Amino acid sequence: MTVLNRAILPALMFCLAFAPALGAQEKTALAIMMAVYQRPQPVDMSATLTMTLVDSKGKERPRSLDQRLASFGGVDKKIMVFQSPADVRGTSFMNWSYEEAGKGDDQWIYMPALKRVKRITSDGKGGSFMGSDFSYDDLGARHPSKDSHVILGSDTVAGEECWMIESKPKDPGDSYSRTVSWISKNRLVGFRRDYYDKKSALLKTLSVLETRTMGTYLMITKTEMHNVQANHRTRMEFTAIKLDTGIADEQFTERAMAKGL
Amino acid sequence: MKKFFKSALGHPYAVMVLALGVTALAVLSVVSGFRMETNLDTYMPRTHPAFVFSDEADERFMIRDAILVAVEHPDSVFNPATLQKLIDIEDDLLALEGLSGARVNSIHTGDNILATEDGLDVRRFYTQAPADQEGADLIALAVRGNDMIAGRLVSQDERTALIIVELPESGFSRDLYDRIQRIADKRTGPETLHIAGRPIVEGTLAALGPADMARMGPLVLLVITAVLMLVLRQPRRTLITLSVVVFSTIWAFGLMSALGVPMYSVSIMIPVMLIAIGVAYAIHLYNQIDHFARETPGAGRREIAENAIMVICSPALFAALTTVAGFVSLVTSQVYPVKYFGLFTAFGVFVSFLLTMLLVPAGIMAFGNGESRKAAGSRGTRAERIPEHGLGARFADALKARPRLVYLAAAVLVAVSAFGISRVWINTSFLANFDSKSAIVRTDAFVNKHFGGTSSLNVILEAETPDTFKDPEILRLMDELQTGALELENVGDTISLTTYLRRLHYSMNAADPAFDIIPDSSDLVAQYLLLYEMSGDPDNLWKVVDADFRSANITIQMKSDDTRTIGRVIGYVEAQADDFARLGISIRYAGSGYKSLIFSDLILQGQMSSLGLSVLIVFILVSFMFRSPLLGLVSTIPVLISIAVNFGVMGLLNVPLTTSTALISSIAVGIGVDYAIHLITHYREALRALGDEERAARFSMSHTGRAVLLNAAIVISGFMVMVFSVFPPNRQVGLLVSLNMLTAFLATITIMFLVLRSLSPRLVKEFQK
Repeated sequence: MTVLNRAILPALMFCLAFAPALGAQEKTALAIMMAVYQRPQPVDMSATLTMTLVDSKGKERPRSLDQRLASFGGVDKKIMVFQSPADVRGTSFMNWSYEEAGKGDDQWIYMPALKRVKRITSDGKGGSFMGSDFSYDDLGARHPSKDSHVILGSDTVAGEECWMIESKPKDPGDSYSRTVSWISKNRLVGFRRDYYDKKSALLKTLSVLETRTMGTYLMITKTEMHNVQANHRTRMEFTAIKLDTGIADEQFTERAMAKGL
Repeated sequence: MKKFFKSALGHPYAVMVLALGVTALAVLSVVSGFRMETNLDTYMPRTHPAFVFSDEADERFMIRDAILVAVEHPDSVFNPATLQKLIDIEDDLLALEGLSGARVNSIHTGDNILATEDGLDVRRFYTQAPADQEGADLIALAVRGNDMIAGRLVSQDERTALIIVELPESGFSRDLYDRIQRIADKRTGPETLHIAGRPIVEGTLAALGPADMARMGPLVLLVITAVLMLVLRQPRRTLITLSVVVFSTIWAFGLMSALGVPMYSVSIMIPVMLIAIGVAYAIHLYNQIDHFARETPGAGRREIAENAIMVICSPALFAALTTVAGFVSLVTSQVYPVKYFGLFTAFGVFVSFLLTMLLVPAGIMAFGNGESRKAAGSRGTRAERIPEHGLGARFADALKARPRLVYLAAAVLVAVSAFGISRVWINTSFLANFDSKSAIVRTDAFVNKHFGGTSSLNVILEAETPDTFKDPEILRLMDELQTGALELENVGDTISLTTYLRRLHYSMNAADPAFDIIPDSSDLVAQYLLLYEMSGDPDNLWKVVDADFRSANITIQMKSDDTRTIGRVIGYVEAQADDFARLGISIRYAGSGYKSLIFSDLILQGQMSSLGLSVLIVFILVSFMFRSPLLGLVSTIPVLISIAVNFGVMGLLNVPLTTSTALISSIAVGIGVDYAIHLITHYREALRALGDEERAARFSMSHTGRAVLLNAAIVISGFMVMVFSVFPPNRQVGLLVSLNMLTAFLATITIMFLVLRSLSPRLVKEFQK
């Protein structure tokens, strides 16, 4: 199971794209999903992420971490530094993921109590992200060609006219049997997604709770994943977001991990 | 009551038709409303504090009973085919209804946390079976290097791999077991598949006991029929007596069904009990009928029947009432199926008394007294016909001549028993219910030999302050507790938060054995755990500690589920409770092994109190019947001796007290006192009528002694049939009831009879008043 997977950015930061090619004419399900996938994205970003895990009894465990990420010609680099809880403050993770097919991520951890950077290798992708209800796969941008898509109909979510698009994986070994996404017709951005387990039972629901327009991008700043089977929830909220500030490659080093952001 | 039975004599056919009619109604009730309850959870008293806590802790730490599938290969499991087979078996199991969503643990699903030159490597041992032997060898190498896996999921000799399936729900059905067994059969060869685990043992137990008892029922009926033919010497009498016990069984089940009480596994014992016990009243009635017919030649049907009712009704009533009391005393049990068993058997016993007193005289009225007895009587010698001479009388004289020998023998017996009682031990093991050669015991032994153990105890540590279980001092204390536990006999493995921390510390320090310890700082602990949460399966973590780090769960795996083993582990943990208490940590327990320990303790406590209760009720009933507390005391002599011998023999033969063997003693009190009631009644009557102690003794010993002997012989032969059961608990029940009846019978006709005779001057004085 991977420590840091390919960028939280693409999935959580569905960006608004003005997609003139898709104009007013009828669109196929695949074309819609491709358009969502191919929106322009900021080159770099820094933000504070507050992740709150809520168990079935309603008990909350908040965690806060600073993160910085940027793309450098086929390599996405990211550093996350924990701010709280106090006993893990300063613990940081760095992740480099490569566009090159078949090349696995490089990952490092810095533990202040150990005062050393350690390299971590791992293989899994389907595991839970930091014990949350998000899996690494949920956070990554999934290429539309991996699934076959069908438009189920239209629906309104949070005042947005949406297509309901069902996506079934072509690989039967995939962790979900299908997903259903609510994609805004106006803004070509996802507002909700239902995940079904291998037995075709509803497993999780991802909801967008808050969006913000930043420059040319529409940023999703608050989401919640509800595991309906275990009745767990994970809320993620981004604050202090800065986009395209020109973060340099030298900012993603072991020294930077130890120093903090 | 005598009046009622006598008035019924005028309408023998109406009585018979009525009995048949009620029986038909009962059959209808059984057919329409019968249901079987197989869920073992219904046995547990849910509101008991230990259960409430254990259930809550089970939920908090996701403690589930697990099915263990051991896949044994003749050479090594590390070959492509066997590694693929593990995946296939897992897929098969997860496809079963009732197992979907189950957590599966094996070398296929498990993560390997490995130290590398500059850090840590976390990956699965394999996700797809290797294509060639070379790939399998690499997996073997990886497993060997990870002591969290080697010995836990693959045996040290590498011939056996374990698949652990945690049941999502607590319920486990026979049907699920059968389907798992079919999967095992399908996947066998060249590997051998062994299925073990507590749900399997419980499931098999729940199915085997009733099935065996259902086989035993007809066999008991057959043996009783044969013995009745031998004793009563008339097919007609045998038929009437059998009708009594069969009808009373049907009535008891009919009432159960009508009241909506389901059939539990323990209820299967009701017919065996009723068949063996219910024939006794008819034996005494026919004994008196024959005696009177012999003494009064030319007596008419009505005269014979009335006499039998007059003489037998009250001792038989009190014998029935004491037996009923023995069963009713089971309502003190906290376990509902046991309560119901006691109540409905008690009802059946009383019905068999009523039916005996109605149907036997009705039979005489309708069909006469039969011929064979007269013929037998005329063939016999004079001594046989007159009860004052003959074997019984000689026995009475012989006792009188050697009272000291009898008292001495009884004293020695009680003393030896007392020694045996001191060695009685309680066993709540489920596995002890099976033959040592049975497949389930051998499978369990196999898994225990190669892995940590099929039984487990969860030690739950709780503190007030959050983050307590990140404190190195406390973690080290936990680690010491675990290390010490491993020294205990039959303890095979322990897993807790410290197991993960030591492994992480060791791996993050380039696999240096010096770091296979608890880290020194609580921050480092927190950071390791964060790393594990991000890289491993966080659910593993929440099985050993809660999210606040305020409570922790240590699982101790044992190679036996017997009470001595669990008790030893609990004793060991309790001895360290003070060390934990000083740090503000309290210790409690959870898990199904612990629950069944508490549960059995409850049953045993209940049994001990119902044993006391039944002796008390017997004393009160008999005192009331004879209007004499002294005779009440005398009547308890045989049951007290039989209780002593019962537990004494168990101690001497190393038969542990279990839920089934404990059930016996209070029932045995109620049945065992019957002999005393009959003998005392007739001795006292003879003393009053004859005015001569010696003659009264000879008469009662020959006349009633014979009936009591037959009564005991029939009950014992009925219960001895269960010795041929394939199911050890049923065998023990059969043997112990037989032993109890035998001792009660022997004590009645020896020591109790002597004590009774020594009291004759007092009895005579009472008559004069």
